[in-house]
Amino acid sequence: MEEAFIKIENVSYMYEENDGFAKIDRYAVKNVSLEIKEGEFVAVLGHNGSGKSTLAKLINMIYTPTSGKIYIKGRDITDENMSDEDIMGLRKTVGMVFQNPDNQLVATIVEDDVAFGPENLGIPSEEIRKRVDDALADVGMTKYANHEPHRLSGGQKQRIAIAGIIAMLPECIIFDESTAMLDPVGRKEVMESIIKLNREKNITVLMITHYMEEAALADRVVVIDDGRIISDGKPIEVFKKEKELRDCGLSVPQCTELVHCLSENGFDIKGECVDVVSCANMIFEALNL
Amino acid sequence: MSRIELIDIEYYHGKDTPYEIHALKNINIAIPEGQITGIIGHTGSGKSTLVQLFNGILKSHSGKVMIDSEDIWQKPKQIKRFRYKVGLVMQYPEYQLFEDTVYKDIAYGPKNMGLSEEEIDNRVREAAAFAGLDAELLERSPFDLSGGQKRRAAIAGIIAMRPDVLVLDEPAAGLDPRGRDSIFNNIREYQKTLNTTVIIVSHSMEDMARLCDSLIVMHDGEIAMTGSCDEVFSKADELVKMGLDIPQITKVMQLLSEKGIDVPKGIYTVEQAVEFLKSLRKSKKEALQ
Repeated sequence: MEEAFIKIENVSYMYEENDGFAKIDRYAVKNVSLEIKEGEFVAVLGHNGSGKSTLAKLINMIYTPTSGKIYIKGRDITDENMSDEDIMGLRKTVGMVFQNPDNQLVATIVEDDVAFGPENLGIPSEEIRKRVDDALADVGMTKYANHEPHRLSGGQKQRIAIAGIIAMLPECIIFDESTAMLDPVGRKEVMESIIKLNREKNITVLMITHYMEEAALADRVVVIDDGRIISDGKPIEVFKKEKELRDCGLSVPQCTELVHCLSENGFDIKGECVDVVSCANMIFEALNL
Repeated sequence: MSRIELIDIEYYHGKDTPYEIHALKNINIAIPEGQITGIIGHTGSGKSTLVQLFNGILKSHSGKVMIDSEDIWQKPKQIKRFRYKVGLVMQYPEYQLFEDTVYKDIAYGPKNMGLSEEEIDNRVREAAAFAGLDAELLERSPFDLSGGQKRRAAIAGIIAMRPDVLVLDEPAAGLDPRGRDSIFNNIREYQKTLNTTVIIVSHSMEDMARLCDSLIVMHDGEIAMTGSCDEVFSKADELVKMGLDIPQITKVMQLLSEKGIDVPKGIYTVEQAVEFLKSLRKSKKEALQ
């Protein structure tokens, strides 16, 4: 069998919470097992506080699991005896893009910012030049190479943050609600970059989001509630269970909801949809009396 | 209840510098009293600049801001009066929490207004309830709250000043679907109970469609459209040209209309779509008989 790129085995993560009276232990992630294959595009859904960001931070070794094992390309990343070099190597393999674009940019010129990662890896300067140019081209920001990051839009800033990760040649990128602070145009730009990296460069993508419409674009959707995985499958299979999703504070794309409502109202609609084109097609067929 | 009117407003960012941007051009609007008005527009269209004029955080370079027929800059030293009258909840207001308990944070505004201890206590509790914040959280540190709770605490801090006009800039950004719904329900309840004038800035057309009585569309620093949700969403093509996202349902209806179905304009919620399709099915059946 093909070895999983990321393999999470019975992982739990516990933290202390102060409720104003006493400290109590709480599980952010509870006994989670999950395998992600190389080149897969997986969306992780869950309400605020469901444990999805904690899971992402465990994979990138920002947190260490309380119990359980995580393997990246067969390498146990929870091994306490791992050297700093190994940790750096793995962080380079799995890059992370966060929510707030303003917190991730360090330099005063776009291309310097993208070069920051490779510079820290000790890459020769000609190689850095090439990587920066390639990375900016990948996110469609080549013409902004000499601009000042703080004058860019949110979507552009996020694409610069993504370029900074790509320049380290990662095999996997984790997006932790990277579109949450963007407007619709910025969200679209970032989603297009993510899809392109996954399809054209075979970068494994783990995307944490609150937007059902974005999750619908992934190959696979994992739903987390209360630190546990409660659903895992193709978007169409996951969004089929509308009630379950609503029960844990989530929703489904509007077009999925429309098709469900129509079928409840006696329309002859079979099957599911998660995008507007198939939704319109299904309704058109159902109307053809 | 209070009336805001903007007359011939011009505003520049970085006026008389090489980076001068004409952020607001020839703005003439009156905000309806005792209603919820939504302001939509892509990033950089001038929405946030516009709302900061309402209580004098920014001062326009020409034109007048009138509140209840009074020019707010008539006596600049009395601008504070209008800051209490128009409560502004900025974007990501949770970053502005600073006191050591939630209670003190909410009490900060009323305290500055010079109210009595008893009145402050009343207002803090009332505001917390309106914002959907459990009374038991009041003695906690704001930094121990979840993201959604922090947002509510920050909103309560403004409500506690009992403003005649409540302005919220992206109140639901970054929250999950349940959090979004519940904050919007709280705002709706608050508006109904006190008959306050409420102004909301948001990117989410789906949310605005459900919540607002009327809409103002900003584009490149100008007012591009005003009207009811029906009126505005019936111009879907124009909205898309301005870089705005239209609800998925509107897109599905557009596709059906391309397929030759006679779709009325201004369908933007699942309920409206179901009603329309039901009536369409009925008339088709009748035609066949």
